[in-house]
Amino acid sequence: MMDRREFLKRSSIASAGLVLGAPSALAQGGSKNGKINVALVGMGKQGRVLFEAMSNIPGLHFQAVCDIWDYNRKGGFGKVRALQGHEPNLYIDIEEMLEKEKDLDVAIIATPDFWHSPHTVQCLDAGLNVYCEKMMSNTIDGARDMVHAMERSGKLCQIGHQRRSNPRYTYTLDHLINHNKICGQIVNVNGQWNRAVSSSQDIQVNPKLSIDPERLKKYGFDNMHQFMNWRFYRDLSGGPISDLGAHQLDVFNWFLGCQPKSVYASGGNDFFTEREHFDNVMAIFEYDAPQGPVRAFYQVLTTTSSGGGFYESFMGTEGTVKISEMSSASAIYRENSAPSWEDLVKDGYLNKKPAPAPPPSSDGVASYESAAPEIFALPGELTKMPHQPHLENFFATVRGEETLNCDARHAFESEAPIFWVNPSALQKQRIVFEPSQLSV
Amino acid sequence: MKTKLFISLGVAACFALGSCSKEEASSADGSGSASGGPGAGFEGGSPLVTEIPKAVIEGSPRPKGMTNLAPETKAFPKFNVPEDATLLSKGKTVTSSDDFPIIGEVDMITDGEKEAGEGYFVELLDGLQWVQIDLEKSTPLYAIIVWHFHSQKRVYSDVIVQVSNDPEFKEGVTTLFNNDYDNSSELGKGSDQPYLETNFGLLVNAKATEAQYVRLYSKGNSTNELNHYIEVEVWGKGE
Repeated sequence: MMDRREFLKRSSIASAGLVLGAPSALAQGGSKNGKINVALVGMGKQGRVLFEAMSNIPGLHFQAVCDIWDYNRKGGFGKVRALQGHEPNLYIDIEEMLEKEKDLDVAIIATPDFWHSPHTVQCLDAGLNVYCEKMMSNTIDGARDMVHAMERSGKLCQIGHQRRSNPRYTYTLDHLINHNKICGQIVNVNGQWNRAVSSSQDIQVNPKLSIDPERLKKYGFDNMHQFMNWRFYRDLSGGPISDLGAHQLDVFNWFLGCQPKSVYASGGNDFFTEREHFDNVMAIFEYDAPQGPVRAFYQVLTTTSSGGGFYESFMGTEGTVKISEMSSASAIYRENSAPSWEDLVKDGYLNKKPAPAPPPSSDGVASYESAAPEIFALPGELTKMPHQPHLENFFATVRGEETLNCDARHAFESEAPIFWVNPSALQKQRIVFEPSQLSV
Repeated sequence: MKTKLFISLGVAACFALGSCSKEEASSADGSGSASGGPGAGFEGGSPLVTEIPKAVIEGSPRPKGMTNLAPETKAFPKFNVPEDATLLSKGKTVTSSDDFPIIGEVDMITDGEKEAGEGYFVELLDGLQWVQIDLEKSTPLYAIIVWHFHSQKRVYSDVIVQVSNDPEFKEGVTTLFNNDYDNSSELGKGSDQPYLETNFGLLVNAKATEAQYVRLYSKGNSTNELNHYIEVEVWGKGE
């Protein structure tokens, strides 16, 4: 198990290696067209989200589109043509693409989770820099393979934990939590991603557009339902705890600067009884953080939107930071007994929100309550699409101008505990991590 | 796009629901999403009945900063049509200002499929774009229903619905719906309200206007700058 010091040390070594070893990750002399040549691997929903975010980044040339579904491939073709006025080369198979496209610089991988590792490794070994969606893989060994391939190839591999490049998150961590110690001692963390039943249904597909069964089989799918709904299948994904939870559990580990020492989880098929993965999962992680012990609770529920969507909350002795990609779900609360934050407001670190309405008249219970905390807005509003800053960081690093905010090694160290949530829930047992369970 | 809003999708997950249900409307609650809505329809007629796709919401937040949105449609509007009303548009030829749709084909617009999943919508370029349905002959039209994209709480800009007997829409054009409040599309200022996309679509009263062609405009939406259609139904006088 890695403590904070080792976590940060190893992370910085990994980053430094990438920077020192490759001032620019472009091919020798750069591309002939002066742009970064990009292959889009996987053009489903998430591939399209990433493409929209990249469409605002200058200096990119979308050269190839690879997807096994004609509908997605044609859609990728249309999007590239609409944006850049040229027709990209189209491929069903990534091996054929890598064989024929000799001047690619970058692959953007947004395929189903069980394909992340093979596709990333193939691209890195072919000399491309890779941006791959999270979760790194559906298996911890698949994720390990990605780290090995990145370090073996000397190429860049950024994992799509886009909060790592979100200014609200970086500002909060760097300035408020680390520099100003605004939370005091963080003692608990709480997070959730809750979705209503109506938002958690199977994805339907127009049967007229089905993929040939032989092609589906070749690429690991039994049928179109599995192809569209791979998130529900144990051999193809990690389920909601990795699909949704990975974003927020990454923030837990990133902000605390260490890995947890144990996990205890509970899950069940409470509503979607036919699905292979749990539809509701709750997990408790314990940390020995440098500042002291921390307990963290996380829930991902696909059966209710209760509790206001998705956020992470860092609860300390002097204040609580509640942070989310949604500004409406982000705020910071000062404990009544904490030192004044007026200087932070004066210096521009915080914006105070109007005082909450006074509580209703005493009902005999109020005397047991703590005084209501003051509420402050978290600065760092994102005016771009959510994934854009993370992609910008990736492409700037490809040009040798920055370092990656979430390379595969950082991502692995943060994601590793997530792979043990489902086993804990299945075995109904607390897992105390051995170092080998969380290391590459 | 008049109001740009980047909605966090978070992850790739988008979820759709299953089959259609046949629905006739419940109450006046579903106003057709326009100012005043389509009204009650034709006196002495019977309620328009169509297949309503099941509700699908990706979980995206409601668009912000729009103060003039019509109330969200909660049910298909009760709208009477004459007894001879029939669905004229199914399978009819569709053309578009965008010769090369980005995703899908324009014939999806009249194929009768209204689901919110993958492979049901056509995506057109950004900016003002139109699609046009050729009904093959001029006939009195009673109602037009349009589903742009209903798995997110989106608002499409400059939704304009026109009918004409001129395929070029240069003469004899009747505008049935127009929410281009500032005339940014230069087709005339409209007074209808912008509305949230739902599985009930937008029902427009065609007021028995005789026409062979139906043209629908839009100019981006609150999630991105592109234009989308899942289905358009044109109801009018049958044989």
